[in-house]
Amino acid sequence: MNPLRKSPVHHVLAKQQPDWDLCNDMPTVLLFNHDDKERSSILGIADLSCLWRHGLKGPRSVEWLEAQNIAVPAVNSWSTLVDGGLIARLGQTEFMLEDGLAGNTARRIQNLLADRPDGIYPVLRQDAAFALTGAALQQLLRQTCSFNFMGLDVATRPLVMTTMVGVPITILPQESPDGVRYRLWCDGTYGEYLWCTLLEIAHELGGGAVGLNSISII
Amino acid sequence: MKILTCPINGQRPISEFTYGGEYRPMPDAQTATDAVWADYVFNRNGAPGIKLEWWCHTPSTTWFIAERDTARDVVIRSFLFGEISLQGGAA
Repeated sequence: MNPLRKSPVHHVLAKQQPDWDLCNDMPTVLLFNHDDKERSSILGIADLSCLWRHGLKGPRSVEWLEAQNIAVPAVNSWSTLVDGGLIARLGQTEFMLEDGLAGNTARRIQNLLADRPDGIYPVLRQDAAFALTGAALQQLLRQTCSFNFMGLDVATRPLVMTTMVGVPITILPQESPDGVRYRLWCDGTYGEYLWCTLLEIAHELGGGAVGLNSISII
Repeated sequence: MKILTCPINGQRPISEFTYGGEYRPMPDAQTATDAVWADYVFNRNGAPGIKLEWWCHTPSTTWFIAERDTARDVVIRSFLFGEISLQGGAA
């Protein structure tokens, strides 16, 4: 297996010799070991870099997205896409779309933007993307961010751009069948540093890395 | 912990921000004399006082203006650049 797409944390994951599968042509960890589910309930960190995402910005981006029948969320919030996945509004006129495992809205938008409509600029997203789950989640956030996540109302689907152990991140809480989880994105070149640092704290709290099989993707 | 208010992202620790220098209205490059242009390019006012400054919220790359008393290091208010009047003063 020699895929063109690799997660920014691929070689860190590979050291643990997990069970892989191809997702969007990227090797993705399904399972590290039989304790994944238990770790996930305490403090699990999953690599979601395989999900297809694309960005756009520009003065006409709002009206253009609405013309594509995509509901545009308020600034610093996010909403779900009709076929799964999410759209995050990163500023007045800047957006990131990410497909779930099944949807293809982000990919479709990426194709449409190849024509470079006036006033809209495609933004290539090669983020490292992680999901954080479990009961000890807030303890990890308190150790790594100077932001009070407890003050957020999850029902309003807030989106926060802040720093985590010095790395600029976009992070959002998300209701899931397993309870509230956090999704975060950072520049891929910081991915390994962020992954390893979060994992070190997670180990101290009784958690660790988990595969895609132990979490549900929205 | 020092707190600065980004007009878009709200109150955040100062570690999330980058200072971008004093906001200074640019003279018209077509009509300015060499002396006026050289003053704009090379000279800075180092005297403490209430100044308009460029700041950037790094995680969101939001550039904005903060009105800060540099003698006391107190931020009086912060706002987006669009609120600066055409005359170069704060709206």
